Amino acid sequence: MQMKREEITEKLKDILISASDDPQTAEKCTDDSKLQTELGMTSVNMLYTVIAIEETFDIRFDDVTVSSFETFGDVVDYIEKKLS
Amino acid sequence: MKNAKNRKNKLFSPEYFWFDFVKLTAAPGILWFRPKKLYESEAAKKKIKGPAILISNHIGTIDPMYLMLVIWYRRHRFICKSELMSSKRGAFWLKKFRCIPIDNGDMSFTAMRQITDVLKNGELVSMFPEGAVHTQSDTPSSFKSGMILMSLQGGAPIIPIYIKPRKHFYERITAVIGEPFSVTEKYGERPKFSQIDEAAKLLHEKEMRLMQICNNYKNKKETDENG
Repeated sequence: MQMKREEITEKLKDILISASDDPQTAEKCTDDSKLQTELGMTSVNMLYTVIAIEETFDIRFDDVTVSSFETFGDVVDYIEKKLS
Repeated sequence: MKNAKNRKNKLFSPEYFWFDFVKLTAAPGILWFRPKKLYESEAAKKKIKGPAILISNHIGTIDPMYLMLVIWYRRHRFICKSELMSSKRGAFWLKKFRCIPIDNGDMSFTAMRQITDVLKNGELVSMFPEGAVHTQSDTPSSFKSGMILMSLQGGAPIIPIYIKPRKHFYERITAVIGEPFSVTEKYGERPKFSQIDEAAKLLHEKEMRLMQICNNYKNKKETDENG
C-alpha cells in the first residue's frame, strides 16, 4: 500500500489526538517534536501508540524498543519505510 | 480430539516439565506452608480459568513461589526483569521456568507481543507491577502501567493479590485475593493515555484495600489469641 508522507502524518496525528487528553496535541505534532519531552509520551504510551499504528496501517513493527524513536518524524519515517 | 489433547496437556506438558517437577517435589513443603487465603468478596473466590494476569506486591525474591502456592492449580508464566537473564545460571533457570524477560525502562515491542500471545493462548501471566522488590514497608509502592496494555491486548482480566510478609520463616503466609478487574469493561477497548495511568492507580488502591483486609484479619486473630 502506497501512502504519501502527509497522509501518514495525518493518520498518526489522529491516533495521538484520540488517545491524548491534551487539546494542543495536533499543533505539537511536527516532524521535530520530541516524543518524550514535547509530546509527553511515556514508554507505555509509546507501546500503546505502536499497537494502534499496527492496526491502522496494517503493518508489523520489528524488534525495536521504545527508545528507538526520538521524534514524531522518526515514527513517520519508520511507517513510510514499512509501507514502501 | 482437541479436548482430549487439552486434558492431557493440563496433566503433563514437556514445556512445563521444570515447573511441574518443582511443584511435585516440593509438595510436602507446599502442604506445610500452604497459605492462609482471604478473599475480597465472593466473586474473588471463583477459580481462575482462562487467560488472566496475576499481580502482587513484591516483598522478596521468593514471591514467585508464594504466588505459585496461592494459585496452585494453574501454571504461571512469570514476567521478570531482563537483568536477571544476564548471568548464565539465571538465564538457564528462568528459561526452564518459561519466564518472560522485559526491560523495565525500555520495553521492546517483541516482549509485549510475546506476553499478548501467551494470554491469547489462555495462559496465566504473573507479575509484580512495582517493578522491583520493595522491603521498606508492608505498603506496596506505586504500580507501573504496562499491565494495563497487556490486559487490553491479551483480553485478560487483572487479578490483584496481596501477600503479607512473614515475621518468622516457619509461619504460614497470608494472602488476600481480589476481584478480577477488567480494563475493557471499565474504559472500553481504546482508553486514553490518562485512563491507562488511572487504571494502574485504581489497581494500586485495590491492593491497599487487600492489605487492609489482611491487617484486620491479623489484628483480630491476635486479639482473639490474647483473650
